[in-house]
Amino acid sequence: MSLLRRRGLWLALLLVMVGCSAPGWMGAYYLGVFTTAYYFSVFAMSWDLLFGFAGEVNFGPTFMIGVGAYAAGLMNNAGYSIPLCLIGGAAAAVVGGMALAMPALRLRGPYFGLVTLVAVLLLLDCIVIFASVTGGEIGMMVPDVLSVSAEVNYWYAFGFLLVSAVILYGLSRSSLGLILQATGQDRIGAAALGFNVTKHKLAAFCVSALFSGLAGGMLTFYGGIASVDTVVSLSITVQIVIAVVFGGRRTILGGILGSIFLILFDELLRPIGQLNTFVVSGIALAVILFFPDGALGWLLRPRDDA
Amino acid sequence: MLNITPLLEVSGLTKRFGGLVAVKDIGFAIRPGEILGLIGPNGSGKSTVMKLVMGIERIDTGSVKLSGTEVAGWPTHRIARHGVGIVFQHSRPLNRQTVLENIKLALLPDSLLRLVAEPHVDRRAREIAERVGLAAVINRRPPTLPFADLRRLEMAKALARDPQVVLVDEPFAGLTLGEVAVFSELIDGFRRDGRAVLLVDHNVKSVAALVDRVLAMYVGQRIAEGTADEVMQDATVRRVYIGGKIEAHPRKELDVKGREALLDVRSIEVFYGKAQALQQVSVHVNAGEFVSVVGLNGAGKTTLFNAISGLVPFTGDIHWATESLHGRSPARIAREGIVQCPETRELFGDLSVRENLDLGGQHLSRAERDAQLAWLLGLFPILNERQRQRAGTLSGGEQQMLAIARALMMKPKLLILDEPTLGLAPVILEQLSKALARLRETTPITVLLGEQNVTFALPHADRVYVLEHARIVWEGDPARFAEEMGTGYL
Amino acid sequence: MRGLQILIDGFAISSLYGLGAVGFTLMFGVCGVLNLAHGGIMLIAALFGWWVAADYGAGPYGGAVVGILAGLLASYVTYVVVVRPIQRSRAIPRSEEEIFLLTGTLLWGIMIQVGMDYLFSNNPVTMQPLMPGVIDLFGVRTPTNELLIAAVCWVAIGLLWLLVNHTRIGKQLLAASINPRGLTLLGFELSSIYLVVWTIYGLLAGLAGVLLASFFGVSSDNAGNLTASAFTIVILGGLGSVPGSLLAAYVVGYAETLTAYLIAPTLRPIPALLILVLVLYVRPRGLLGRR
Repeated sequence: MSLLRRRGLWLALLLVMVGCSAPGWMGAYYLGVFTTAYYFSVFAMSWDLLFGFAGEVNFGPTFMIGVGAYAAGLMNNAGYSIPLCLIGGAAAAVVGGMALAMPALRLRGPYFGLVTLVAVLLLLDCIVIFASVTGGEIGMMVPDVLSVSAEVNYWYAFGFLLVSAVILYGLSRSSLGLILQATGQDRIGAAALGFNVTKHKLAAFCVSALFSGLAGGMLTFYGGIASVDTVVSLSITVQIVIAVVFGGRRTILGGILGSIFLILFDELLRPIGQLNTFVVSGIALAVILFFPDGALGWLLRPRDDA
Repeated sequence: MLNITPLLEVSGLTKRFGGLVAVKDIGFAIRPGEILGLIGPNGSGKSTVMKLVMGIERIDTGSVKLSGTEVAGWPTHRIARHGVGIVFQHSRPLNRQTVLENIKLALLPDSLLRLVAEPHVDRRAREIAERVGLAAVINRRPPTLPFADLRRLEMAKALARDPQVVLVDEPFAGLTLGEVAVFSELIDGFRRDGRAVLLVDHNVKSVAALVDRVLAMYVGQRIAEGTADEVMQDATVRRVYIGGKIEAHPRKELDVKGREALLDVRSIEVFYGKAQALQQVSVHVNAGEFVSVVGLNGAGKTTLFNAISGLVPFTGDIHWATESLHGRSPARIAREGIVQCPETRELFGDLSVRENLDLGGQHLSRAERDAQLAWLLGLFPILNERQRQRAGTLSGGEQQMLAIARALMMKPKLLILDEPTLGLAPVILEQLSKALARLRETTPITVLLGEQNVTFALPHADRVYVLEHARIVWEGDPARFAEEMGTGYL
Repeated sequence: MRGLQILIDGFAISSLYGLGAVGFTLMFGVCGVLNLAHGGIMLIAALFGWWVAADYGAGPYGGAVVGILAGLLASYVTYVVVVRPIQRSRAIPRSEEEIFLLTGTLLWGIMIQVGMDYLFSNNPVTMQPLMPGVIDLFGVRTPTNELLIAAVCWVAIGLLWLLVNHTRIGKQLLAASINPRGLTLLGFELSSIYLVVWTIYGLLAGLAGVLLASFFGVSSDNAGNLTASAFTIVILGGLGSVPGSLLAAYVVGYAETLTAYLIAPTLRPIPALLILVLVLYVRPRGLLGRR
């Protein structure tokens, strides 16, 4: 048991070291790829907190991400500084997350999944309709960026990822994570143990929305643009789902593995053109068919000696 | 003792589901250190009562008081915090966490801000594990535990809250006799702690040694209350569980001794996860015979029938007309002549009576089907009148007749009838009994009947098996049953 | 005049939506599968139909036949490659089967979309009308093709109704949607019933895809939206309820047409989504849903 933990810990430390040393040996282009992958990892981890732990099938993570990104972008265009915009974006995302949580408390399974999907479609439509403010399908440029240096951007993303991972993983292993798992698995059982299921689910939505919104805002100021394709489109949702399922549900950190795999592979497969998405989706499909617990779930699967 | 305020006081409890009254005007009180048994057959409403107390189902009318505080209408988690613990029959522990972590979960406060458990939680969790006998497996994960330990874990979680009132759903289901003794001792421990305990079970027998009083329910209503002995002797209870006077009608003309067994179940075993549902069960049915398997709810009758129908995996062997049934799909087994009419009836509620019957007859040629239909509508005249009515709107007795008729539409070689009397009024039982008698007299059909109601099961039977705690404990002809088993059955 | 125009256009669109959704709802009702590759299957039928009709000179009818067969084949592949392995997997707990089916079919739908994009590019294509010409209907000039499509939709839905209510296999399907266990006990193999459902589903989705190509035209980019609108209609109508889906198809079809004509074409999808959210809050099981 403790050996297993320790092995996971060593692995994590090793990966952190590799991550830290990357700017030393990696070219600017690939630093950029990893920067994107890191923001993506936070999307995936936030989603896993809701799906893997609280048991909510949320097809609308990009609703929270998009609200965060566009709110931050709008504030920046109104002249606020980047830190303020990020805070504002995160706050907006949390409000959006609460709006999304309301149906979750009434609806189950596919119904809730659909409502979250509809929320994203509505957000998409709003962006297109108010194109004069949001830039419509082209996207909304922001005046400020985090940095023009690939290396600095990498460090921002890496630091943000580390902090988010520590907090989200810590939460998942905390008492709150335990209670969340219990409510996600068996509402009635959890309530019978005296836990207010509604309160805990709302909290999970808040935390998930907070990190999604922050990451959405950061990504906006990294790229200098908030656009439908980068933060709202359904294909982002699909990639998040793939990343989590591939990396391993209910592991939080699996989302990082999944995201890096997804984005790196997408990059490596660029030569085969459009078919890269086909191959990546195919691999993800094979993973959920043959290794439903995902990569990390498989590596760290519970092994009892007895 | 009478001066002490009850920890749990329930009165006038009523619950409707749509048009069905599931619980009607139920009331009881449990004092500290007292154990009340709430018993009733499947569908009697006893589990609903438990859910109403816990706030899992919303109460229509009535009152639930905990140490004098009215809690009716409170959400479940508040009732739990107010001192009610529940031990569910089916455990759903967190499989990725250890036993210790599962117990700790139950000790956590309902707070969003306390992220790290206080140090005493660990100590307390270990104490509780020790008490329920989980100390040795404290670092294992639930999927690797035997069934009894999973039940222990449920007990531990309920205990962790230090509840004043403990509700236990079917405390002994799926346990071996040795384990039953251990769990009885555990529950007796609740009494010594001064908690009020409500045990919900199918029958008096299994909880008799433990309880101070018993409340018996049937179709949502109270039918008897008193000590375990009083309730077991109660005329209404005996009628519900055993039926009236036991009769047997041996068929002289049938000589089955020399015949080949049509169905031969050879020492099969069935497990549900880790709970053993059947233990070395052997049963045979000869062609033309009418065999009854009697046993209380939960003894394993339905499991036996489902194993024969190929619906649950089993070890051992089942032979049908000399061929093994292993590896055949349930549908194929049905087409080959073993047709089950299950306890749950499994009707197509939105289709008409006639459509239900037609589906049963789809495997037959048109002429055969028409003949079979005409015969069945004669056997069950009420179905003839109701041909166009939706099956879901029929009364319970009519639904049961439809289920039997639908099974007979398949022209079975062996008809398996599982608990046909479940939840039916006595007058319907009589009609059903007559129909079975006619069936037995006028056709060469072979029947395997599973019943709790002995009076219903015996008159038709050529041979009887008694199933108790997953094992066959008695076999013989019905005439001997009254002498040998009549008193010890309940 | 405009009122009549809305009435006619809305009717045709709604009929097509209805046809697109009934297969989806049948699939859920009988097999319990929400197939998120639905749009992908329609897309395959539409693009192959268009390709054969245009490039091989098979004409619109030949193209339609090929398209429907392509849809059928795609439906079988979806079942055998994606859905059945998930349903039979021992590693996937029953309680999580639904999310795995959703994710699996979603991925499969993306693979289809990208594959079609690769084969046919994402340029919108329109199949030749099945019947050229324009009819003057009470003063509204309406393409004959539009009326024919609405008629074909209703004939197909009518045939489905006949099949379900007046044939032996239809009764089995109904029974399976109500109580699969009961049907097993009567000696029917659920696996063959599921195969029948996937066949009917493939034919319906194929036909809907072909008609769509002939009516609006399609591009590989549409797959997601097609799935989303079928999903919306089916949930609005009540999962598993065929009449509910048809009703919802008309609600959505007319809501969209009205918005497009009276407010602005860009706002077209919004009212339907708002109606959906409203209905789900007030009546979570949908308009005619039972559960």
